[in-house]
Amino acid sequence: MAYLGIILLYLACGSTILAIITGLLAIREKNGSKGALTARWSTLSTLAISLATLGLIVAFLSNDFAVAYVARHSARNLPLIYKVSALWAGQSGSLLLWLLVISLLTLGVQRDKESHRVGLGIVIDLVRLFFLLLLLFVTPPFELLADPPYDGSGLNPMLQSLGMVIHPPLLFVGFSGFLVPFALALTGLITRDDQAVWQERAVPWIRLSWLFLTAGIVTGGHWAYTELGWGGYWAWDPVENASLFPWLTSTALLHLAILPKEYRFKRIWSYGLIVLTYLLTIFATFLTRSGVLDSVHAFAGGVLGQIFLLVLVLLFVFCLALGWSRRKLLRLTDTQAGQGLSAAGTNILISSVLLLMLCAGVLFGTMFPLISRFFGAREVVLDASFFNQLSVPLFLAILFFMSAAPVLQDPMSIVRLLKRLWLPVLLASGVGAATANGAFALAAFGFGTHLPGLLVPSSTREWGAVLAHLGVLIMLVGITGSSLYVDDVFVSVEPGDTVVFGDYVLDYDGLSARYGSDRYTIGTTLAISKDSRERGTLRSEKTFWQGRNQPSTQVGIFSTLKEDIYLNLVGWENPAAQLHLQRFALVGWIWVGSWIVYLGMLVILCAQARQVRLWPKKTG
Amino acid sequence: MSKKKLKVLLLSLLPLFLLGFLALRAFENSAAYYYTISEARAKDVSEQKLRIKGQLVEDSVTYNAGMPLLQFSLTDGQSHLRASYQGVLPDNFHHSEEVIMEGTFDSSGEFQVSKLMLQCPSKYEGEE
Repeated sequence: MAYLGIILLYLACGSTILAIITGLLAIREKNGSKGALTARWSTLSTLAISLATLGLIVAFLSNDFAVAYVARHSARNLPLIYKVSALWAGQSGSLLLWLLVISLLTLGVQRDKESHRVGLGIVIDLVRLFFLLLLLFVTPPFELLADPPYDGSGLNPMLQSLGMVIHPPLLFVGFSGFLVPFALALTGLITRDDQAVWQERAVPWIRLSWLFLTAGIVTGGHWAYTELGWGGYWAWDPVENASLFPWLTSTALLHLAILPKEYRFKRIWSYGLIVLTYLLTIFATFLTRSGVLDSVHAFAGGVLGQIFLLVLVLLFVFCLALGWSRRKLLRLTDTQAGQGLSAAGTNILISSVLLLMLCAGVLFGTMFPLISRFFGAREVVLDASFFNQLSVPLFLAILFFMSAAPVLQDPMSIVRLLKRLWLPVLLASGVGAATANGAFALAAFGFGTHLPGLLVPSSTREWGAVLAHLGVLIMLVGITGSSLYVDDVFVSVEPGDTVVFGDYVLDYDGLSARYGSDRYTIGTTLAISKDSRERGTLRSEKTFWQGRNQPSTQVGIFSTLKEDIYLNLVGWENPAAQLHLQRFALVGWIWVGSWIVYLGMLVILCAQARQVRLWPKKTG
Repeated sequence: MSKKKLKVLLLSLLPLFLLGFLALRAFENSAAYYYTISEARAKDVSEQKLRIKGQLVEDSVTYNAGMPLLQFSLTDGQSHLRASYQGVLPDNFHHSEEVIMEGTFDSSGEFQVSKLMLQCPSKYEGEE
C-alpha cells in the first residue's frame, strides 16, 4: 500500500508539472486544444492525490504499521473514527489532507480549459506542485519502517475527541478556499484583464472560505473550552491568533465585495486584502510549524516552518511588485468612479481600517517575543491582558459600525431609532459591571437596528447579512458574559454531601470505576438541581491508560442559555473527592450565535448561487 | 493638490497613532520577561513578571488535590528552581518534556506560578 501511495504521489507530481508546462503553452495559442490537454493533466493529478490520500486512510484502517506515520499516530484498538482522523494528527498527513482539499475545491477550475488559458489553473497547479514536492522530499507520509511494530504508539487521548475530527478539516477548507481569489487576483493583474471581472468572480470564493474559516475557528474554540489545560475557548495563544489574522482581513474583504464596482477604493483594497489574506494563511502555517513561539498547541519545529517563511517572503515581494507595476489598473479614473463616497462605503472603509488595526495589533503582540529578541533586548512575552486591552476597544468600535450599518443609508433614521431605543439601551447599561455596559448596550443597539431588516428584508442577500450580524451580536453577548461573570470554587466532598453553587444544588454520591482491556476509568456523576427540581447530571472522569503515565480527564458541562456549570474531578483520597466547579455566564450564546452566523452566510451563498457559479461555465 | 495629499497622509497616520496608543496602554502589566533558571537565580528579579522554561526534576513533584497546590522543581541542567502553582494538576504534567511557567518570586524566594504551559501532546513531531 505504501509503495502504491508513493507512486501515486510521483504520478501526481509529474502530471502537475505537465499541466503547468502545457498550460504555459496554452496561453499563447488561439484554438484551445492545449487548454483541454492541460485540464486533463490537472484533473489526473487530483485523481492521483485523492487515491494517495485514500491509500493512507486504508493503511490506517488496516493497521499497516509498516508505514511509519501510521505507527506513530494509530493503534489497533483505536476507535474507527479516530483512525480516520489520525490522518491529520501529524505533519505529513495534514499536508496531504490540505493538498487534497485544495485539489477537490478547485476541481471545477482545473477541468475548465478556459481557466488554464487565462493562467488561473497554472497558479493553482504551482501551489499544488509546492505541496507535492514537500510531501515527496521533506515530510513523506508513506515512509516505511524496516522493522514494523506489532502495535502503533497510539493517538494521544487529548486528540481522541470530536473536535479533532471536525476542527482541522474546516480550517483547511477555509485556508484553501482563499487560494482561488489569490490566483484570480494574480492572473487578473498579470494578464491585464478587466479588473472588475476577476473581482466579481472572487466573491463567492471569499464567502465560502470565510464561512469555513469562521466555523473552523469557532469549533476550535469549542474544543479548547471542553478540554482541560487549553485555557478556555480563547486564550490568545499564538496558534489561535494565527487563524484570527486571515479571518480579520477576510472579514474586511467580505464587506468590500458588496460595494459597487464603481466605488473608488474598491479595486486597490480588494487586491491588497486578497493578497494579505492568502499570505496570512501561509503565515499561520509558518507560526504553527516553526516552533518560534511557545504555545500550548505547539507543533514542534522543523524545516517545514523555514520553507513556509521563505515562500511567504518571496510571495510578498512578488505581490507588492506586481501591484506596483500594475498600479494604473488598480486605480479608477474620475470618469470610471461613481459618486464619491456613499454612507455604506464610508462605513465599510472605516470598519476595514479598524479590522486591519486589530490584525496589526494582535500580530504585533503575538510576534513581540521575536521583535524584542531581534532588537537585542531580553525576550518579552505579552500575556492575555495585553490582547484583551488592545482588542476590546477595537472590537467594540467595529461592532458599533456594524450595528449602525442598517441606519446609515438614511441619515434621519438614526435619530428615529435612537428615540425608540433609549429604553433598552438604558436597561442594558444598568446590567452588570462597568466593562460590560458598553458591550450589552451595543448589542441592544445592534438588535434594534437590524430588526427591520430581519422582519422585512429587501432581498434574500440582505436577510442573510442581517442574520449573520445578529449572530455576531449574540456571540458578543456570550463572550462578554463568559469573560466577566465567572465563579470558581474548589470543594472537598464525601459521599452523601451536597454542594450549593450559585442557584444550583449538586449531590455527590461517590466515585464509580469502569475497567477496560487497556484502561480503567474513575468518575463521578453529580445530580444537579435548582429550586428543588432535578435538572440533569454532571459527569467528570479520569481515565488511566496502561503503559502511559498520563491520565485523561473528561470535564462535565451542564449548559443552559443563562450559564454553564463546569465540573472537573480533580482528585480523590478515600473517602473524600476534590471537585473544581466553575460557572461561566452566557457561554451558550457564543455557540448559538455562531450557528446563526453560519446560517446567515449560507443564505447569502444560496442567494448568490442563483446569480453566479463558483466557476461559471463559458461557451466555446 | 499638496494640501489634499497632506490631508490623506494625516488621515492614514491617525489609525497608526491610535493603535500605538492602545498598544502602549495595554503593554503595562502584561509583559513577562524571559529568564533562564540560572539567570533568575543569579539576579534580583523579585518585582518582575518572568517567563521561565525548564525540564521537570523527577521526584520533585508534590500535589495536594484538596487545596489544590502543585509544587515542583525545574532545571536547566545547571541549577534548580522550586516553584509552586495554586491550581489543578494538568493531565500531561508528568509527561511533558518541557514546562513553561509565568509568575513572580515571592518574598521567601519561591517562584509563584500564575500560568503554566505544557507543550501540547498533539505535537506534530518534527521530522529530520
